[in-house]
Amino acid sequence: MNRLKIFSWLFFLQLFCLNAHGQDLRVSASVNKNNITDKDVLIFSVTIEGVRDFPEVPPPESPDFVLISGPSQSSSIQIINGQMNASKTVSWQIAPTRTGQLTINPISIKYRGKIYSTEPVHVNVTTSASSQSRSTPPPSGTPDKQATTGGSEEVFLKAVVPKTTVYKGEELIVSFDLYFKNVRTFGRKKLPDAQGFWREELEAPTQPAITNETVDGIAYRKATIQQIALFATTTGELTIDPMVVDCEVIQPSQRRSIFDDFFGGSFFDDPMFSKTKIVTVQSAPIKIRVKPLPESGQPTSFNGAVGQFKIESKIDTLQIKQDQALTLQYKISGNGNINSIKLPPPDLPNSVEVFDPKIEKKIDKSSGSVRGSVTYEYVLIPRRQGLLTIPALWFSYFDPQTETYRTISTSSFKVKVVGSEDLLSGRSVGLSKTEVSLLGQDIRFIMRENPTWRKSGQTVFSEFWFWLINGFSMLVLIGAITLRWWTEKMESNLNFARRRQAWSKCQSRLRVLQKMVDSAVDEDFYAQLSQAVIGYIADRLGLPLAGLGPKEIEQELSRRAIDSELATKTVKLLEKLDEIRFLPGMTAKQDPKELLSASREIVSALSKVI
Amino acid sequence: MNLLRTLVLIISLTVGLLAENPAELDSLFEQGNRAYQEENYPEAIRFYESIIARGYESGPLYFNLGNAYYRVNNIGHAILNYERAARLIPNDPNVAFNLQLANLSVKDRVEAPPPFFLFRWYQNFLNLLNMRGWAVIFSVLLLIATGSFAVWLNLDVRRLRHGLKSLFISSGVLSVIVALILFQQYRTQTASHFGIVLSEAVSSLSAPQAGSTELFIVHEGTKFKILDADENWIKIELIDGKQGWVPGTDVAKI
Repeated sequence: MNRLKIFSWLFFLQLFCLNAHGQDLRVSASVNKNNITDKDVLIFSVTIEGVRDFPEVPPPESPDFVLISGPSQSSSIQIINGQMNASKTVSWQIAPTRTGQLTINPISIKYRGKIYSTEPVHVNVTTSASSQSRSTPPPSGTPDKQATTGGSEEVFLKAVVPKTTVYKGEELIVSFDLYFKNVRTFGRKKLPDAQGFWREELEAPTQPAITNETVDGIAYRKATIQQIALFATTTGELTIDPMVVDCEVIQPSQRRSIFDDFFGGSFFDDPMFSKTKIVTVQSAPIKIRVKPLPESGQPTSFNGAVGQFKIESKIDTLQIKQDQALTLQYKISGNGNINSIKLPPPDLPNSVEVFDPKIEKKIDKSSGSVRGSVTYEYVLIPRRQGLLTIPALWFSYFDPQTETYRTISTSSFKVKVVGSEDLLSGRSVGLSKTEVSLLGQDIRFIMRENPTWRKSGQTVFSEFWFWLINGFSMLVLIGAITLRWWTEKMESNLNFARRRQAWSKCQSRLRVLQKMVDSAVDEDFYAQLSQAVIGYIADRLGLPLAGLGPKEIEQELSRRAIDSELATKTVKLLEKLDEIRFLPGMTAKQDPKELLSASREIVSALSKVI
Repeated sequence: MNLLRTLVLIISLTVGLLAENPAELDSLFEQGNRAYQEENYPEAIRFYESIIARGYESGPLYFNLGNAYYRVNNIGHAILNYERAARLIPNDPNVAFNLQLANLSVKDRVEAPPPFFLFRWYQNFLNLLNMRGWAVIFSVLLLIATGSFAVWLNLDVRRLRHGLKSLFISSGVLSVIVALILFQQYRTQTASHFGIVLSEAVSSLSAPQAGSTELFIVHEGTKFKILDADENWIKIELIDGKQGWVPGTDVAKI
């Protein structure tokens, strides 16, 4: 512990001393090769020496070169004879964009206010016969010299697409095939960028299957080392950038000795005994034309899904109690741009409470294509009892294989919602018995017939007929009284009064006579009976009582055209009464009761005619 | 007799004229019914309300409008319209049923004490006929009373003299009773003293000023008695006797 402390102190002191007398920053730039072909990758390194706190190094900028990867850094501290030498190397992999004598521009490094520059680096780039090896097979008829002679460049990477024209949103599988002869291992250095695409790396097998393939007469071994699925998100010309792979290439022995010939070259060609070399290969960029989806025939329910899909719906129960939760699930599964699928919400009646769906996406990238499913899980709570219909959900997608739009749908559900017992018991507090029985019921249907309209706020009192009828009644009343008053005035004579009082006068007389019949009948009875009848007739007809006998009455009655039978009856009764009155001895033979009732009958008969 | 015939003619003519439904109102009513049957309740409400906006009303109209509001869960308006329907067609069992059902959704369930049975009988008797029916009965009774009185007084019809007298006395007494019923109905129909809360919850204040002490809260659909009203505030009394002022915009008169 103590020793370590001292050591670190010493170390620090030494560094300080170095810093104090050093301060001379040395920068240098270098490349690993000066003569390269136009498809080679160059390692450009900048080395900084002399200081301990290394400044930032900007990347090389040159129009003739393209940056493939980097920067990678390495630093070292060497102490030789007490002299400390610290250095840092920053390196990039760059590739030439053209052939010829190219220059990598100097790099300026700013350190403590001073600017240090590297020297420019010159690189000679030639066109190589094996130049196309990275993107395309070697041109026919010109076998690659290096390849045949066992050169390290006998490996190339090829990006393969099934087609170069796709629809927007269509899945495009890009395979990267490595053609090689003697490669021990490889490492993906840089996955291709693809602007305007949504990229999904497909799962590659850890040990790619190796097949033999002959390219222009040269036998290669081929392995698909990477597959990516691309889904265009815009239209137009898009570029898939190169992929860069480092390969460990087995180099056959350069020294071909007599032993090699002796052993037929087989023994020392064994990779176990060979030297290896890192070769960086890259694929060529690929241009893809992205077409927009056809406008015609696009269904209204289309929402951007491209591929092949199927839809399923699932419901956890078809019978539920009111206010209990129900799970409704829609699942779209298939092959295509699963990630951009959106489902419209189901069209449910507003008696159902719908919660935001739980969306679950599952993407499977192992089968050489993007497959998967999207699940929308809705929680529904029916708030009213009855039959709840969950309508079918329509989903549209574009099938790029047949280049048509397809619309698929789920089945609809009918859910029976029964009244909730809990609700009933919870709410029945304060409800009467009849109200509880109402809880499960629905309102009665509307009335379709409307007999009358009335002006708002108006009652029958503002209707004309009401006042017409009642006004008429009042008029009748007033008219009747006036008429009565007028007639009374006009007839303010005895006759009118006599006529109106005749009945009651006669009746009261007859009542008196009735009493007499019940007790004792005397002579006077017949005279009074005669007077009652004659009086009635006289009053009704307005005749003077004096000198009125049966004869006169007969005349009067016949003059008024009274029913002759009644008239003769009346006259006969009166004559009989006179006879009883004036002829002695007749009284005993008569029955006063019979006479009285006969008189009554006659009077009441007469009252109907006079 | 000739006079009576012309009178009957005039009456039937005027009644006919007034009872004739304007075709436009009928068509709006039918469109509303169709929208209701197609479960397009907001549309149905629009049609029904447009009839009311034209200044016309009827029992079935208020009933259907109440149904439409019930279907869109607007309990306050549903109850208001059922109550209005009950005002115009008091003894309709459908109106009573739906009103009772809608009242179940009202949060303030203030139970009114059951009315005295005589009063209930009286109310039922009153509601046997609508106002028009009572008005017809009154008019007929009055006509009989005055007519028979006039005949009794002036025409000396010997055979009917006694019958006429009892007729005009009894019909006269009856017409006075019916007139009282009619007057009672007129009062309940024109000057409604009841209202319904339309907003979900309204705080009832101690004075007709915003910011005065809150006494209690009434909820949508609650029926109340109107005690007093000024431009913007209405003094209400609930069935259980609680009183307070609420803003006029949150309630409606039946």
